Amino acid sequence: MASMVRSFMQGVSFASVALLVGATRSRAQATPPFTTSHGDWPSYTGDTRGTRYSPLDQISAANFSSLEVAWRFKTDSLGPRPEFKLESTPLVVHGVLYTTGGTNRAVVALDAVTGVQRWVHREDEGPRGAAAPRPLSGRGLAYWTDGRDERILYVTPGYRLIALDAKTGVTIPSFGTNGAVDLKTDIDQTIFPDLVTGEIGYQGAPVVGQDVIVIGAAFREGTAPRSFKNNKGYIRGFDVRTGKRLWTFHTIPQKGENGYDTWLNGSAEYTGNTGVWTQVTIDEDLGLVYLPVESPTGDYYGGHRPGNDLYGESLVCLDLRTGARKWYYQIVHHPIWDFDLSAAPILADITVDGRAIKAVAAPTKQGILYVFDRITGKPVWPIEEKPVEKGEVPGEWYSPTQPIPTKPPAYAKNGTSLDDLIDFTPDLRAQAVTIASRYKLGPVFTPPVVSKAEGPIATLARGPTNGGTNWPGGAYDPETHTIYVAASNAAPSALGLVKPTPERSDMDWIAGFAPGAGGRGGGLSVQGMPLFKPPYGTMNAINLDKGEIAWQVPHGETPDVVRNSEALKGMSIPRTGQPGFIIGTLVTKTLVIAGDPQVTTLPTRPRGAMLRAYDKKTGAEVGAVLLPAPTSASPMTYAVNGKQYIVVAVSGGPYSGEFIALRLPSGDR
Amino acid sequence: MHRLVLAVVVVLPLISAARAPRTRSATRLVVPHSSLSTVWDSVYSPAQAGRGESAYVKFCARCHQASLGGADQSPPLAGPAFLGNWNGLTLADLHDRIRTTMPSDSIGIVDRQVVTDVIAYMLKANGFPAGATDLVSDGDRLKAIAIQSSRP
Repeated sequence: MASMVRSFMQGVSFASVALLVGATRSRAQATPPFTTSHGDWPSYTGDTRGTRYSPLDQISAANFSSLEVAWRFKTDSLGPRPEFKLESTPLVVHGVLYTTGGTNRAVVALDAVTGVQRWVHREDEGPRGAAAPRPLSGRGLAYWTDGRDERILYVTPGYRLIALDAKTGVTIPSFGTNGAVDLKTDIDQTIFPDLVTGEIGYQGAPVVGQDVIVIGAAFREGTAPRSFKNNKGYIRGFDVRTGKRLWTFHTIPQKGENGYDTWLNGSAEYTGNTGVWTQVTIDEDLGLVYLPVESPTGDYYGGHRPGNDLYGESLVCLDLRTGARKWYYQIVHHPIWDFDLSAAPILADITVDGRAIKAVAAPTKQGILYVFDRITGKPVWPIEEKPVEKGEVPGEWYSPTQPIPTKPPAYAKNGTSLDDLIDFTPDLRAQAVTIASRYKLGPVFTPPVVSKAEGPIATLARGPTNGGTNWPGGAYDPETHTIYVAASNAAPSALGLVKPTPERSDMDWIAGFAPGAGGRGGGLSVQGMPLFKPPYGTMNAINLDKGEIAWQVPHGETPDVVRNSEALKGMSIPRTGQPGFIIGTLVTKTLVIAGDPQVTTLPTRPRGAMLRAYDKKTGAEVGAVLLPAPTSASPMTYAVNGKQYIVVAVSGGPYSGEFIALRLPSGDR
Repeated sequence: MHRLVLAVVVVLPLISAARAPRTRSATRLVVPHSSLSTVWDSVYSPAQAGRGESAYVKFCARCHQASLGGADQSPPLAGPAFLGNWNGLTLADLHDRIRTTMPSDSIGIVDRQVVTDVIAYMLKANGFPAGATDLVSDGDRLKAIAIQSSRP
C-alpha cells in the first residue's frame, strides 16, 4: 500500500512556517479539548459536540450582505474528473485550512487567509476505490495534536484510515501500517466477498476525543438492495497515536450479547448495514460517544429480519475508552421507513424546570427532535409508545407501537393528508387530489404497501429518505440553549414495494412501482410544483430549556417553477422556502447562517443560490449573498489575524465543487 | 499560477444582494434564451422514453429511486428541486454531467445514446411533452435545447 501513497509539499514559505510555529499553543500531552473559542474550527462540527457554534461576531447583521470573496479553491484537479457533490466542511487550526476534496478524496492544506495550497495528499486505491459504496470527496477529516505532534486523519473511499503529518501532508509511518489502517480487516467479521469489492466504507469525517478516533461504517443506498445479507456496520475506536484498534461495538449484537434476541429467527447472523454513515458525536469531558445508527438491510422491507432489530435506528451511548455500551434508545422499532438517524447528535447543557441537564438531542428525517439526558439515556420529556398502523405486506413483521416525544413538537411535516396538498388555485388542488388519490396517505409511521397498478401505487410519505433533517444536521447555541435546524417538508417519498427478479435481488420485496403504475417523479408534483402546500422548507429554532419551537421561517427563495408559473400569474405568493435537505447551519454570536438548497434566477440577479443570515433571536433575515451554486456542505467560520472568514462548499447540477471564502471588505466592520 | 486562476474565477457571479448587481459576464457555457428550442418543444419520443426508463431502472434507480425522488446520497431527478437546479441550462450540460459522473461506481459503462434515452425518460417524468422524433445524442444539438422549468 505504501507505493500507492503520493504526497506533495507545495509552496510552504518561511513566513507561513513561522506563523505555524508561533501560533502553536502550549499544550499538555493529552489531546486538548476541541473548541471554537479561539477562532479555530478544529473538528467537523467545530467541536466534537455537534454544535457548529462559533463565538465570532465580526460578521454581523449590519454587514453580512457586504461580504465579498477572499479566495476561491476549485477542487476539479484533485481527482481524475471534476466532482459535483462537494460535501466537506473544512477545519481550520492556526491559520491553516484542511479539507478533503476531489473525486478520489484527496486531502489539501490551504493558507486560510489566501487559499494558497500548501500540500496535497492523494491515495490511488485502484479497483478498491472504484468499488466504494461511498465514493467522492467525503464530508471531511479530523485534526489531532498533543501539543507537539499534529495529525490529520481521514478515511479513504476504499475504507482505509490514513494519518498524515498536518505540517507536511506526509503519512505517519508509525501509524497502522506505513500510515494506514485497513478498515476492512480487524472488524470482528469477514468482509465479503473480498477486500476489494466488499461493501463497506465511510464518507463521514472521523471524530477524535481523548486520543481515540471513532470510525463509522456506511453502505450503498438501501431501498432496493441486491440481497438481504450484507456486511455489518460495526463501529470502532482506534488509538490516535498507533492506529491500534481499541474496541468494536456490534451494532448488530452477536450471539450471547444484549439485543441479539430482538432479531427473530436468527436474523442477526446474516442481516447487515446498521452502521453509522453520518457523524459521530463525542463528549470529551464525560468520555462518552453518541452513535446515530442507521437502518438494517432493506430500507422499506424488514421481513427478512423480524423483530425490533436493535440497534437499528437507535441512539447508542458508549464509553469512549472501552466501547462498552452505556445506554441506548431505539428511536424506531423494526425500521421500515429509512428513518436512519441521519445527523450528528447535538450535546446541550440545558435547564429544564430549574434542573440542570446534560442533554443530547437527535434531529431526524421525520422532523422530530428526540432529547435525552446524555448520562442516563432517560428522555428529558416523556416519550410515549403510540400505536401505529399495521401494514399488509406479505412476510413483513410490524412493531405495534413507535416512540413519539411529548416535547418538543415536530419541526417538519412528517405525514400526508388531503389537507396538506397544494391549494394555490382550485385547479391545481384538483390535480393534486387526482395524483394523491392513487397513493396511500397517512401520518408518520404509515407503513409501505405492495405497489398496485390500480392503486395504491405506494404510500406517499414525508420524512422517509429525504425529509426533515439529513446529514448536514443542526447547530446549537450554548448561550440561548437553542438548536437551529433546517427542515425539508415537500420532498415526498413513495414507499411502494415490488417483487424483484432473482437477478436483481434475493429480497422478497424491494422499492419500486408495479408495471403500469406510472407514479414516476414528475407524478409527485403539479405542473412542476411541489404537491404540498408551502412552506417547502423551513429554518427552525428550538429552545431546549422549554422544549418549544422559538421561531420557524421559510428557508430558501421561492423556486423558479412557482414564481414563473403560468397558473399563478397575478397572484402574490409569500416566500415558500425550498424542498431540500442539504442545508447545513452555522450559529455565531448573533447569526444563524445557512444556504439555499436550490438555484433560482430572479429578474434582479443572475442564477445562483443565496447564503442567508438570520437574527438568531428572532429568525428575521438580516442579510444574504449570492453564490454561483447551492451550498453543498455545512458552512464554517474562523478568524485569522483579527479577520473573520466564512467558508462554504458549493456544487451541484453542472457546477463542480468549489470552496468559497467570504470576509468583510477592508475597513468594513 | 494559482493567482491567475483566481483572477479568472472571480468574475463568476458572486455578488452582494444588498448592492446593485454589477455587470459581469458569466464564463459558463449557458445558452441564452434565444436558443433554438426548449424542452417544451416535444424534443423526444414516447418510445425513446420507454427505452430510457428501462435503462434508468437498470443503472440509476438503485440510488436515485424508482420515483426519481432521490435519496440520502443522490439528488432528485424530477420535480421542483431538479428543475430549479437545471433551469436555464441546456440538455448538453445535463448530458455531460450524467455521462462523466454516472453511475458513480462504474463511470463510463453507459454510452452516449443510452444517456440520451435516460434524459428522454427524465423529460417525460418532469412533465415535458413528447413528440414524433427521438432526442439525438449530438452535442451541438443538445446545446441548442434549453431546460426551462416553466412553459415559455
